Amino acid sequence: MSEKRPRSFYVLAAVFALFVLFLYGPVITILILSFQGPQGGLTFPMNGFSVHWFEQLWQGAGLVDISIGLWNSLKLGLLVMVLTVVFSVMAGLAFRRRFRGSTLLFYTAIASLIMPSIIVSLGIALEFHIVDDTVMKIADAYDVEWLYDNYQTATGLFTSGLGAHLSWTLPFGLLIMFAVFNRFDKSYEEAARDLGATSWQTIRHVVLPMVAPSVVGVALFGFTLSWDELPRSSQAMGAANTLPIQLQALTTTVTTPMIYALGTVTTAISLLVIATALTTVFIVQKRRRRHGSDAGQGVV
Amino acid sequence: MTKTTKPGSIDRRTLLKGSAALAAGAAGSTLVTGFPAVIAAEPVTLRYLSTAVNQSPAIAKKAMEETGVKIEYVTVTTDEVAKRIITQPNSFDLVDSEYFSLPNLVPSGNLMGMDAKKIKLADKITPVLTKGEIDGKKIGSQGSAPWKYFYLEGQHSKKFAKSPTDWMTLIPTTYNADSLGDRPDLIQGEVTHWSALLDPKFKGKAALINVPSIGIMDAAMAIESTGQFKYKDKGNMTKAEIDKTMEILTKAKKDGQFRAFWTDFNQSVNLMASGEVVIQSMWSPAVTAVRSKGIKCTYLALDEGYRGWASGFALPRTLRGKKLDGAYEFINWFLSGWAGAYLSRQGYYPAVLETAKQKMEPYEWAYWYEGKPAEKPIKAPDGTVIEQPGAVRDGGSYETRMSRIACWNSVMDENEYLITKWNEFVAA
Amino acid sequence: MPPRTTDAAAPAAAARPRRRGRTGGAAPYWQAAPMALVFFLFFVLPLVVVLVVSFWKYNSYSITPAFILDNYTGVFDGCLVSLPSLCTTFATYLSTIKFCLIVWAVTLVVGFTIAYFLAFHVRTTAMQIVLALICIIPFWTSNVIRMISWIPLLGRNGLINQMLVGSGLVSHPVEWLLYSDFAVALAFVHLLTAFMLVPILNSMMRIDRSLIEAARDAGASGAQVLWNVVIPLSKTGIAIGSIFVITLVMGDFITIGVMGGQQIASVGKVINVETGYLQFPLAAANAVVLLVAVLGIIFALTRFIDIRKEL
Repeated sequence: MSEKRPRSFYVLAAVFALFVLFLYGPVITILILSFQGPQGGLTFPMNGFSVHWFEQLWQGAGLVDISIGLWNSLKLGLLVMVLTVVFSVMAGLAFRRRFRGSTLLFYTAIASLIMPSIIVSLGIALEFHIVDDTVMKIADAYDVEWLYDNYQTATGLFTSGLGAHLSWTLPFGLLIMFAVFNRFDKSYEEAARDLGATSWQTIRHVVLPMVAPSVVGVALFGFTLSWDELPRSSQAMGAANTLPIQLQALTTTVTTPMIYALGTVTTAISLLVIATALTTVFIVQKRRRRHGSDAGQGVV
Repeated sequence: MTKTTKPGSIDRRTLLKGSAALAAGAAGSTLVTGFPAVIAAEPVTLRYLSTAVNQSPAIAKKAMEETGVKIEYVTVTTDEVAKRIITQPNSFDLVDSEYFSLPNLVPSGNLMGMDAKKIKLADKITPVLTKGEIDGKKIGSQGSAPWKYFYLEGQHSKKFAKSPTDWMTLIPTTYNADSLGDRPDLIQGEVTHWSALLDPKFKGKAALINVPSIGIMDAAMAIESTGQFKYKDKGNMTKAEIDKTMEILTKAKKDGQFRAFWTDFNQSVNLMASGEVVIQSMWSPAVTAVRSKGIKCTYLALDEGYRGWASGFALPRTLRGKKLDGAYEFINWFLSGWAGAYLSRQGYYPAVLETAKQKMEPYEWAYWYEGKPAEKPIKAPDGTVIEQPGAVRDGGSYETRMSRIACWNSVMDENEYLITKWNEFVAA
Repeated sequence: MPPRTTDAAAPAAAARPRRRGRTGGAAPYWQAAPMALVFFLFFVLPLVVVLVVSFWKYNSYSITPAFILDNYTGVFDGCLVSLPSLCTTFATYLSTIKFCLIVWAVTLVVGFTIAYFLAFHVRTTAMQIVLALICIIPFWTSNVIRMISWIPLLGRNGLINQMLVGSGLVSHPVEWLLYSDFAVALAFVHLLTAFMLVPILNSMMRIDRSLIEAARDAGASGAQVLWNVVIPLSKTGIAIGSIFVITLVMGDFITIGVMGGQQIASVGKVINVETGYLQFPLAAANAVVLLVAVLGIIFALTRFIDIRKEL
């Protein structure tokens, strides 16, 4: 802090502040409007000031049960996050060497990003429809009573739903790993190997610690994408609904600021989760500092 | 049909059938309002797919109490309901869909015809929907009127029957009529015709529903009202009629007539409440929603009449065994009055009026159905007061509203062409 | 974090393509296998199903298996005859590509600037993470809710207009803040800057600080350092961010729909309307055309900047 900041720092800091203000515009609006009076609507003017809508939300009066969607989204989001990180880091490592089919995999990932989500969702639904039909045909052919009684559908949160979300988060994960491994110095790994480390040890003790902060970034990205995913989920969740699907459905009837109160509450919860994630990063960093490594430059 | 190896469940099912037969016998003499909780021991869970309109934890709770059937809501948007019926018929046990979607849904073979013999109040369902009549008078039948799609030729038939059969496509849940809504505090003079939607007076302050098949009907009502054009059947336009309509709409759009198009209930309410829009096509409960915020808003009784819509329960073809029995049980309960009264207080109409009336206070019935001024404060199902004493429901009594329906939400023969033209209109 | 999972995935990967000594052994294959499997099951197979459907015959009443190209010719119906005036498909693509370019340019400038600030002016990693997180938090409020909140923010009686009118800058509320091209672009920039920021930031973090100091010592001006050192070394990040932004804008229908008051066309919206009306074959054909078009753009982009070269 002793060193004097260049003038460009202040200019850029101001730009950053403006950008953050812009980013928070809708959030601030939601925050203000969630304190509407009991007579208030979803738009200005404010009609009094109260915590009425938080109370309503708490009681869940006359509403579709949001907690199911919230819980489903959270479970799915966390699983998607973990799998996105694991699969992306692995694939990122793979792409550092040449392998057959790498170009195909790369363009498949890009295509998965491009293909309109409603169509992917539709495709997954049709695919699982075929699976269901096949199972029922088997049940018919062999007269399997157990299937009749217990089998409903293969679609679900952790089958088709998980797949749909991964097909969305993995391209992002993979491409961000490309940025992370971009000009990543190979000499560290070579040094480790020269010292007799196995390839797993090299990854575990050399590569992973160096990319750890970026990996946290991929994790956050993966979770956020899954948490907020709507079009790709629409046909792929079976009977289980995620939070965005429920919210979207709610907009067919609910016109009260309760929906903003919900927004405020989810933001608050998000902050909590982020704080947890941050603490984890700090602990990791502290540990690394203790181990005396100078690695780990990437962020989010 | 299903043989089971568990003796216990055979007993239960036989019992269920027996009691259903008993109840059916009893139904002949008196209206059955509640059913014994025969399945309480092993509750049947039904995954109930629909929009949020017809769903309410209160209804599910009451149904559980009185029938022992557990309802698990799957809440999605209108478009989604139709898509899921086509793509994932195994993801629900009971679905609430609109009549006008039926011509698209029935050919998929994913829904089954419902056995009218198992619906105890089948013959009590309002003739508005079954025959297109009210008090013996005919109702406007342009568009996909429910009575055209009420019955199937057989349980698994993909053809609609011309005359009543034992196989019903949907058991009606709610229906109503849509019209234009306006903000009387922000516009001068009274609006009496659909033509107001295209009136340059409201330039930049009008809105249209962005559901092509419904939006074009509203546009057609407006165009016909301006006297520019007369349709043979607004609900089933020819290509030339679609072209003409789109031409007029495109011109209005380019002139900046429309502030926005809306796709869901919430947007229509927000547009109106925020003052972005002062006139637009609206649903009756949307008008109520705007008004409950202390903002003036009228559901207009226009000279040309209303556009009607109706939705109802359907069952997936693969439903069988105890779930099928449970579904009939729930549907019968739904028609038995409590749910009908509940939905009436939200501004919708139920399939069987008699039973709903039994579950409503006389002053409520008078306000919601007879077009009389409220004697006492009118409350929504959740207890909030929505109208003060003296208020009269817009559009008048049930008879007045229903008899003035001019056309119904529809899927046209030229639907495919319409969608193409609509996309062209949006791109213009 | 992932040791058990990766080990578990290895046997499955063994069944995948044979290794070639010179291409780096078996490792890349089992490392890429889980991702490849996910894409195969949940993207390629569904896409095949959709592709099959796109050649089917359909009318309002049924979808029948057939092999016809009508759905594809339908997409380009009247496009050649009506030239020079644009058919729906061309007009829609033009409109979408217009937003694509605007949003790409703005997010690139903003994203690059912020990334530069975070990478070179913020001194501790901890602070960098905190600031980067500040940029992500708004996206944790569901998009469905955020989309509703644009009306009270930008509408006639919205916060911005109240401030503008209140401060005397304008006498009447500004109408074009909402339901206009401006509104669409604004919402896209809001939504997508993070997608540009993150990869660029990661690229910048890999730039050796001593390189910049060396350039400075050699007498390079700030602008020269930026142009000759920072930008070339961030170009992988820029390319990746560009891929994100381009693909997301091209496929969008929610943002353009809500912010354009449903009055502005986009390719995604056309597909959305078609699926909403259960015209799956036509929607599928449109999606395939979109896929081919955007893949072409990305392919061209990766010719300029090979993001896989310096891994």
